[in-house]
Amino acid sequence: MHVRRRRSTLVVLTLVLGTALVLSASSPGGTGKAKAPRAAGGFGEIYKANPKTLAKTLFSAKLLPANTMAKNISQAAYRRADMKVNYALALKCWKNNGCSTGTGGKLTVAYVEGFGENVYRQVSKMEFILQALTYPKIGKIIYSSAHSDLNQALADFRAAIAQHVSAIVTYPDFGDAMIPVFKEATKAGIPVSTYAWGFVSGPGTNYTTVVGEDTCKLGKAFAHVMNTQVKSGNIAFLGGFPGNPLSLGWQKCEQPALNSSIHVVANEPTNWDPSKVQGIVSGILAQHPDIKGWSYEDAEFMAEGGYAAYKAAGLPYNTVLTMRTDETALGCLYKKLKDPSLKVYYYSAGNSQIRVALTADMMKLAGAKIPPKIVFPIQLQNMATRSTCVAGYPASGSATSLVPASLLHKMYP
Amino acid sequence: MEASRRSLVAGAAVAARFLPIWLATGALAIVAAFAAPAALQKTSWAFVLPYMTVLALAALGQMLVVMHAGIDLSTPGVISLGGNLIVGISAGSNHRLVLGILVCICLGAGVGLVNGILVGLLRLNPLIVTLAVGQIVLAWGFRYSRSVTNASSVPTSLSNWAAEKPLGISIVFWTGAAITLLVALALRYTAAGRRFQAVGANPRAAWMAGLHVRTHVVFAYTAAGVLYAVATVLLAGVRVSIDPAFGAAYLLAPIAAVVIAGASLSGGLASATSTWVAAFALTLLTQMLLILGLSTAMQYIVFGAAILVGMLVSGDRVAAILGRVLRPTDTGGSAHRAVGVNTG
Repeated sequence: MHVRRRRSTLVVLTLVLGTALVLSASSPGGTGKAKAPRAAGGFGEIYKANPKTLAKTLFSAKLLPANTMAKNISQAAYRRADMKVNYALALKCWKNNGCSTGTGGKLTVAYVEGFGENVYRQVSKMEFILQALTYPKIGKIIYSSAHSDLNQALADFRAAIAQHVSAIVTYPDFGDAMIPVFKEATKAGIPVSTYAWGFVSGPGTNYTTVVGEDTCKLGKAFAHVMNTQVKSGNIAFLGGFPGNPLSLGWQKCEQPALNSSIHVVANEPTNWDPSKVQGIVSGILAQHPDIKGWSYEDAEFMAEGGYAAYKAAGLPYNTVLTMRTDETALGCLYKKLKDPSLKVYYYSAGNSQIRVALTADMMKLAGAKIPPKIVFPIQLQNMATRSTCVAGYPASGSATSLVPASLLHKMYP
Repeated sequence: MEASRRSLVAGAAVAARFLPIWLATGALAIVAAFAAPAALQKTSWAFVLPYMTVLALAALGQMLVVMHAGIDLSTPGVISLGGNLIVGISAGSNHRLVLGILVCICLGAGVGLVNGILVGLLRLNPLIVTLAVGQIVLAWGFRYSRSVTNASSVPTSLSNWAAEKPLGISIVFWTGAAITLLVALALRYTAAGRRFQAVGANPRAAWMAGLHVRTHVVFAYTAAGVLYAVATVLLAGVRVSIDPAFGAAYLLAPIAAVVIAGASLSGGLASATSTWVAAFALTLLTQMLLILGLSTAMQYIVFGAAILVGMLVSGDRVAAILGRVLRPTDTGGSAHRAVGVNTG
């Protein structure tokens, strides 16, 4: 009798306790939290970035690649940008062009580039290091610059392959000349990704993927600005090294998209050399002092050499500029000049795209099928409504970089 | 009679050596007036005159070295690091600008002195030595530039000064013209200048005459370094902002200017004023080709061809031909040597 009563008491207590637990868990005012739906993910990644981070680096959280897998890779990469890493180690790694991460991870990743001696590339290097430090599997980071020497670039790439690195990210300054070493790496099972639309023929076959914006759409966006702001008259194109794919990419699409009353009176390569920009702008101004607009990649050079040429010629800097990059120099010049007739539209330098390239490589190692192109949509920004002048940033620094300002100050004290 | 004839031959040889660049520059200006008149307009001068001055000063330094059968490939290194030092030391402050400029000049002198010691005293190959020293300085410049990235603009007093235009022409141009004139006068009318030329024209004869040949070589490189540094200061004022590869454009252009100005790479003969004119011609040609709207490839072709033609019609070749024409019976090379100390 006693035993039966004790059993029924236990059953009742268990039921009451169970019901209370279920109720408390499901009640909004309860102490237990409702479980959020788990973000999608795979291959060691979670495809959910902080919208604020996306807005900082892409201008809007909506400006992600259209391709689902490309979007997932981007989300995963930018999620990692918010992960805590050891900044002291990152700085040491940046200064020493590589380091051991101290995690004991078995993977080695390399950032190999043809040229690395400017702020843009050095900030990209830091983005790469910061991203790599979010992967405990990565035990070693390697960096090399070929100082604009093709033979050295090929040798550096082969050296990375010979060291059996796990993944390579690169900016292919020498374009298709890099195909042989890209193929060698791919054959050795090493994923190779490029960023900032460092396009080399055969993405997906000769190498893993190219990350960047659609340069043709960039050209069309430039044309739209010229059509609406310049309307009619003369404009000029400036580019980088003669025949480089980035400049050709936007130029070939901007030209046909322009109004028939807009004439491109000059198209000059600058080799992305600031000392050449002033001379070239000055020469074009001498022949066409009525020029109304300029399309170019580098915003900083138009803030320095471009502005200097106008100033030397005694002409007001009241022109329309469509720029691919967003260096702070032009934003701060715009702020200083306070001239509403100077109209500046810009995209992004895309330093943070290197993070996407590394994450694509890491996901490839984890078995993911990586799309041959990870293409970000274009949305030009108006300097009048969104300034790139960031206090404390170097003139060559990009406002869309995800390197924290505190770290940037330590890089460039 | 014989003496006056020899003097005439010597004078003609000097003229033949240096005249072509003056004629070529005149021809270039005429071509520009018809083919690309915009190259001769105010907007174009605003670029050509300051930049030709920087090139001319770098070329003057190179000329001093070439006069002693040397060559200096450290120019880009000095200009790059010097520019970054001006920005880094002055840190945007007008009060510290003088210090920045002094350090830049000291850098030029120091690099030149090292080059001079290695080439003049230790007799190492100038091509390799100056390339190596230049690479070290350039690398140091890259490293140092990291620390000045946050403030890459020169102090406003320097940029404002460089923007001044007395008589409607850039002050940078006037400064460069004055320095060129000083160098030309010093070489021609001072005893030290004549000794400097004599050593370059014939080191053996100069040594036999009791001149310190090695000291002059060391001095040539040191003075060249100082001139590169002065060019750096002017370029920094014109460019306003500095980048790590600030002096990259000054590796071969100064040598080209010296050679087409009629200098002999084997040493001895050179003219400061002709070098200045050559720098002007090269800068104007660059601007003219741009204004003509030639493709980049064609610009390089025409520019390269112009340098080749310049070399063909100036220097030893023309002087030797004219010397043979005017002096058919003379079999010695004394006239060549004689004119070596009569330039400027």
